[in-house]
Amino acid sequence: MNLKKMTCRALIVSMFALSFQTASAGLIGAQQAAPAQADRAAVLEVLARADTASQLQAMGVDPLQARDRVAAMSDHEVAQLAADIRQAPAGADGGTVLAVVVIAAAIWYFAYRR
Amino acid sequence: MTGMIATGARLVRASPFAALRAFVAALAVLLAGCAQMVPQTVALRTGWPAGVPQSTTIQDVPFFPQDEYQCGPAALATVLAFSGVPVTPEPLVGQVYIPERRGSLQLEMLAAARRYGRVSYVLAPRYGDLLREVAAGNPVLVLQDVGALTTQWHYAVVNGFDYPSGTVYLRSGTEARREMPFTAFERSWMRSGYWAMVATPPDRIPATATEDAWMNAVLAMARVAPAEAVTTAFETARQRWPDNLAAAVGLANQLHARGALAQAAEVLGEARQRHPGSAILANNLAQVLSDLGRQGEALALIEEAAADPGNPFASEIRATRETILGRMKQRGSGPQ
Repeated sequence: MNLKKMTCRALIVSMFALSFQTASAGLIGAQQAAPAQADRAAVLEVLARADTASQLQAMGVDPLQARDRVAAMSDHEVAQLAADIRQAPAGADGGTVLAVVVIAAAIWYFAYRR
Repeated sequence: MTGMIATGARLVRASPFAALRAFVAALAVLLAGCAQMVPQTVALRTGWPAGVPQSTTIQDVPFFPQDEYQCGPAALATVLAFSGVPVTPEPLVGQVYIPERRGSLQLEMLAAARRYGRVSYVLAPRYGDLLREVAAGNPVLVLQDVGALTTQWHYAVVNGFDYPSGTVYLRSGTEARREMPFTAFERSWMRSGYWAMVATPPDRIPATATEDAWMNAVLAMARVAPAEAVTTAFETARQRWPDNLAAAVGLANQLHARGALAQAAEVLGEARQRHPGSAILANNLAQVLSDLGRQGEALALIEEAAADPGNPFASEIRATRETILGRMKQRGSGPQ
């Protein structure tokens, strides 16, 4: 089980590492010219992306889609998401039904409990 | 006994004033409470954003009634389709929806729009900024907490407002035209930290965008967006902020990638006049000149850049220098 998980992680990391994009040969990327960009370690970035992708996967997202979805985020966003993927607000709008059911059940209980 | 009645009578006699005082006090507390509950709505009374009409509605904002739990894809499709992307909520489900969370995360909403060549921009958490974007014709995607008893996150799109009647208009869930009072909207919106985003075409900088935040939005988009959209985004940013280094470097790299070497050299040369000390510009221009076959100029430039010992891009510069020297040697020894 653990071995499987490790293999899985290693594969994800390698997928990211291989798809790592730099600017065309010899050119320094525009990212480097942005004022807000701090020094970044590429390895850490790859790990954060792999970690976030596997977390998405664990929450029911298709593995290939999880990888693509993480690829569309900036480094800063990936770091942020890796930290609070389970707590971050997830817009859904399905809970009103639940609230109505709970209220209805409460009314029914208090009205007919005798 | 009598003493008590007397006391009671005195109390009754004093009561009209006491009641009035209590009423005024209660009103003051209530108003202060209201102001705390909807501070930004209250602030709008005295600080309406300059140049924004009191009433406006963006025409032709599409409407996609959401399926259960899928307000994220529906709201995202609304702003994307309005910006000219032919998309419906269905393909977006696989890009933003998380089955276990039964919802979509803010960061993924931002990320998904980039694939379609749109720049996702998070607004500053201000009512005034939201109103300015709507007035500028950009529908604003907001995150609200619409739960009655529990927290219930929900995405909706603001497409208009009418301040005299105090109404915000939204595309929300299954309602094509949901009307919310300014106050109720603020209460639902403030719980997300006033989170709001726009997704605009790359040649359309949002009304409230700042230079640094917009450049970061463009750089995030450049990772995954189609090359043409990325080029347009850098070009537009460069026109608006001619001194921006990242915009010039990004544009030149895009031009280089599509083989427009002379244009890339022109952009870098122009940027170098504004940032003469930039090692990135020197390195990239040297590379482009070398690719153009102008090895002599390229070498002179890279030697100059290599002379600075404290350079953070020393290894890139060294590599570029070696490339240039290699090409010169090849040309020198090769058959003429």
